Amino acid sequence: MISDKNANTMQWLLRREFWEHKGSMFWAPLIVGALLVVLMGGTLAYAITVHGIPEHMMVNGHWINDPRLAAALPDKTTIAAGMLAVGAYMGASAPLFAILTGAVFFYCLGALYDDRRDRSILFWKSLPVSDPMTVLSKAIMAMIVAPVITIALAAVAAMALILIASMALGAQGLNLFSGLLTSPELYLSPLRAVALLPVYVIWALPTVGWLLLVSSWAKSKPLLWAVGVPVVALIVIKWINAALENFSGQTLLLAHYASDVVARILGGIVPGIWFTFPGNAPHAAHMTTHPIDAGGLLSISYHSLAGPDAWIGVAMGVAMLYGAIRMRRWRDEG
Amino acid sequence: MSAVIEARGLSKRYGKRMAVDGIDFTIPAGRIVGLIGPNGSGKTTTLKAALGLIPFEGQLSVLGHDPRTQRDALMQDVCFIADVAILPRWLRVGDAIDFVAGVHPRFNREKAERYIAHTKLQPSMKVKEMSKGMIVQLHLALVMAIDAKLLVLDEPTLGLDIIYRKQFYQNLLEDYFDEHKTIVITTHQVEEVEHILTDLMFIRDGRIVLAASMEEIGERYVEVMVPQEKLSAANALQPIDRRTVFGKAVMLFDAGPGGASRQQLAALGETRNPSVADLFVATMKGTYA
Repeated sequence: MISDKNANTMQWLLRREFWEHKGSMFWAPLIVGALLVVLMGGTLAYAITVHGIPEHMMVNGHWINDPRLAAALPDKTTIAAGMLAVGAYMGASAPLFAILTGAVFFYCLGALYDDRRDRSILFWKSLPVSDPMTVLSKAIMAMIVAPVITIALAAVAAMALILIASMALGAQGLNLFSGLLTSPELYLSPLRAVALLPVYVIWALPTVGWLLLVSSWAKSKPLLWAVGVPVVALIVIKWINAALENFSGQTLLLAHYASDVVARILGGIVPGIWFTFPGNAPHAAHMTTHPIDAGGLLSISYHSLAGPDAWIGVAMGVAMLYGAIRMRRWRDEG
Repeated sequence: MSAVIEARGLSKRYGKRMAVDGIDFTIPAGRIVGLIGPNGSGKTTTLKAALGLIPFEGQLSVLGHDPRTQRDALMQDVCFIADVAILPRWLRVGDAIDFVAGVHPRFNREKAERYIAHTKLQPSMKVKEMSKGMIVQLHLALVMAIDAKLLVLDEPTLGLDIIYRKQFYQNLLEDYFDEHKTIVITTHQVEEVEHILTDLMFIRDGRIVLAASMEEIGERYVEVMVPQEKLSAANALQPIDRRTVFGKAVMLFDAGPGGASRQQLAALGETRNPSVADLFVATMKGTYA
């Protein structure tokens, strides 16, 4: 009964967030996705129609020589189709995920600040919605709803690109449709993105927690506080460390972790941030020199949760969210 | 039912300044209380304390809850417009109604839509496209459609045209209020609310200087039109305020215990009940100086 009511309230809170941020969370990626389809799809279709099918093409790091010949071999077609699918998903996802990162960053900074600045917080607080529910709704919006919207839009854009490319190739006599439809990549790629969501949430928690904490606490200029505090702290630690090293030859243990901590506090919402951290670094290096193995990404990603790093971040993130809730309790004006 | 709001030694300090200085008061159920005081007297602070928006010292019980620790339970039965709350600019009329209907179990959508039908508001309109008066209309329509046990209105009609102000107070009395509800109002336009109030509380410098029902006030305070020849006799009875209207002296007397009797005052000239605004001015004399 009570949980029903809470679930219902949460659903409305998320709707409210969507109404407020429709521009940055839906329209911006939609417009960029549409532009991407038009520009990339147009270029691709133009190139294929005017210049014919290239002798060889590079899809995702693999050179496929003379696809027309390869088309004679059904398994090669399937591979080509699969690569086309993965390439389209990657191509469409990257710009949209970049937008997502920026949108989520500024969303979190404003989430518990904007309504204090315009004083509408008093309206929201006049309704039977608790502070934990409010803060939780903003965290869910940032870590789950916004990425899901982006993944969905990226999938649609990728589908459109694949369709354009296949039609252009089809007009040249190379039929990839049957290969595409039977290629597991076509269906797995968006599913993989969804499957990565739990990893994203775990790595995003410290950043979302920190940004919401600052958003709930700052009396003004949340951006300056959110970026300034960790950066200044990092500089001070590095400086003390350098001084100590000169003076006594010793270094602070803290200094070894400081950069990582700051990177995780500010960069946790970047999709795939987990590839850049120690423990995952060899994989990351491996990835830049070899074609992306989309299935492998998933296992590397989940592997990043094995160490304590991820879970320390989760604990910090949850603690900071709790702090944001406590701050929110007695904040009634900006 | 017992008291809706009960305060004992309620204090709130901002830095060195005591915004509310150890006040005691009780508001029973089924009353419409006017909390009247100059700017900075502690009205809004008192209301914010009762609504669990600020921490405070002393004891305060609202509908049996402590607003500091039981705010979530309290908000099921309380609704408010506090300190000129502003609706967010991006909110649409239709979405606002949907949202409140979604989260508030006591919200009557049909009622809110009826109020809105009497205005120029359209469901697709955003707050940023509205005039100040229209925003207030939307806010009032939302709040009035909530069946709360306690409604707190801090300057609810600020920015509203006079026609809509009268309409609002009429709706409040006829359509909203009943014996199970309690309304606390603060306003600068005392003359607009005095007909609907059942109780008055004057607050000055963080202290309550007068708290009484309208009947008690009617019995206690008398305004007398004193002709020229009886001026000295009237002055001897120590009026709490005097002013001149069309060359005639109008004096305000406290006819309560220890004050002048009604017979004495009737002998001075024509008597009548003072308006709340006149009583307020007399009580607050000196605060504006």
